[in-house]
Amino acid sequence: MIFRALAVFLCFWGLSSQPLYSQVKGTIVNPAERYPMAISPLKNLGTGEDGAKLSVGIADVIIRDLELSGWFRILDRSAYIEDPQKTGITLGDFDFRDWSVIGAQALVKGGFHLQGDEITVELRLFDVYQANQMVGKKYTGKVRDFRRIAHKFADEIIFQFTGVPGVFNTRIAYVSTAGGRFKQVYVSHLDGTERVQVTKDPTINLFPSWSPDGQSIFYSTYGYLERAPGLYRFNLFTGRDARFLTGGGLNLGGKWSPDGKFVAIPLERQGNVNIFLLDPAGKIVRRVTDDAAIDVSPTWSPEGDRLAFISNRSGSPQIYILELAGGKARRLTYSGGYNTSPSWSPSGDKIAYTGRVNGRFQIFTIPVQGGDPQQLTSSAGDNEDASWSPDGRFLAFASSRQGRYHIYVMQAGGENQQRLTGSGGDDTNPSWSPRFE
Amino acid sequence: MVDRLSASLYGMMFFAFLALTGCPTPATTKPEAPSAVRPSAAQKAPASRPAPPPSSSLGAAQRGTAPAGGPLKDIHFDFDKYDLRADARDVLKANAGWLKANGSARVEIEGHCDERGTNEYNLALGAKRAQAARDYLVTLGIAKGRLSTISYGEELPVCKEQNEGCWQKNRRARSVVVSARPAS
Repeated sequence: MIFRALAVFLCFWGLSSQPLYSQVKGTIVNPAERYPMAISPLKNLGTGEDGAKLSVGIADVIIRDLELSGWFRILDRSAYIEDPQKTGITLGDFDFRDWSVIGAQALVKGGFHLQGDEITVELRLFDVYQANQMVGKKYTGKVRDFRRIAHKFADEIIFQFTGVPGVFNTRIAYVSTAGGRFKQVYVSHLDGTERVQVTKDPTINLFPSWSPDGQSIFYSTYGYLERAPGLYRFNLFTGRDARFLTGGGLNLGGKWSPDGKFVAIPLERQGNVNIFLLDPAGKIVRRVTDDAAIDVSPTWSPEGDRLAFISNRSGSPQIYILELAGGKARRLTYSGGYNTSPSWSPSGDKIAYTGRVNGRFQIFTIPVQGGDPQQLTSSAGDNEDASWSPDGRFLAFASSRQGRYHIYVMQAGGENQQRLTGSGGDDTNPSWSPRFE
Repeated sequence: MVDRLSASLYGMMFFAFLALTGCPTPATTKPEAPSAVRPSAAQKAPASRPAPPPSSSLGAAQRGTAPAGGPLKDIHFDFDKYDLRADARDVLKANAGWLKANGSARVEIEGHCDERGTNEYNLALGAKRAQAARDYLVTLGIAKGRLSTISYGEELPVCKEQNEGCWQKNRRARSVVVSARPAS
């Protein structure tokens, strides 16, 4: 029962996967410039009567994904003219004028076929003006996995428009107090569905962080073997939860190097926290910082040759960059008296961080070589702990703009800020997974 | 904890990988199946979790009660600071007097922070605060072996409003008597 067959197949119609459009590449700031698209409910290609929920459900998942991306304006379903159950889904079996007249420049149509608990889904993306098909795909899987199929096609749509696939089959690990008075680690799909509670014991659990292969997450927890928090690794595939490093003082969250050969971790020794490197077995192999100041929050460069981290060696917390080959750490941030939580972008050119402005915390990015920071959030409440999407085009972060903390997502330039989580507790400390495929 | 995990977790994670299979014509992507490992029986963490001392702030939180007052007084800090203020030194001198009069007592010093700032940095800051209190008690003649430290950062506030009065209460080092036995 634990294992479900990996029965999701994809077939290609052999269409070009070249990006046909380049105009939505990059960032669209003005919502009026977003690409107008219609996502039709799917046609039930079988004989069963019970498909109405899936017809709309698959379309709704695609709509939510494309709206999260910020690049599209999805036309309201009530304006659609054609009846998807009465028209075909292939070129020539429907009238493009039904879609151009309502302002759609692109159109998603599709159909599905139910057989027991199996579903076959065909999805097609059309260019309404050119009256041709951009891409078509066929997926087969279990009915309960219809959301994943929809995310796959949303990723494909993003690929068609930008040349890089979307990230809608990724996950977010985060900490939440939704289950009670203690912070617990959760993993959920990007759209908040399929939420799984990773830790359950009544103690403080912190700092979830993904392995590069997306198979396991590190977290720190109080009081397994020692009084101080230790570093544990939870394997999402096997359910195995194992001690990685405990003892000696605080263990403040491990971060895998991109090649998986090292773990950077802040460790306390006699009240003083410095950054160390561990090998994959959890053995300390190197001390990276060695000073009396606080050194925490390491983040790897994509090449794995540098670490950015927080130090208060200047008197207040600021971001520093250290070449692991040797040399002195270089201070990166100079504006603001409290800069923390650095996260190195996958493209390597920027670091996102949390800075204090007028007593509130906001998300910034700063070029790695130094220069002027760009402030991405300015809402009421605090905005903290940014984590990059694996394609580097989005940031997840925690915000208290609506009272309690929730996880939000925005484009890398700060546009299109949207709430992801809605638990009854405080959701903080997001960590965006790598791509799974 | 793991044995209580719903089996749906495993199913969900496996479906993170949509296997690509050979299609009639152009199969452009290679299959990338997960190296599936069967969870024979969910493996437990290596040791059962020892309870924190009942007098500790975490122990109180686990019981859902406020931390109990003890014979030793809290000291307080300025924002983002861990140097001991004059008022803190006076309190620690009084605490040292009690420790000298109760020579078998062992004490755990908890470092705490207010909610502002980053959890990770605040945990390190709390460690500095606890250590500063410990170091001062040692200079006052208390044996190192009787004094341990732990940081709770901003995780266990005693006051939850967003104002300076509350924040000041939370920026503290709390000394908890954890054992009446002499240190080994």
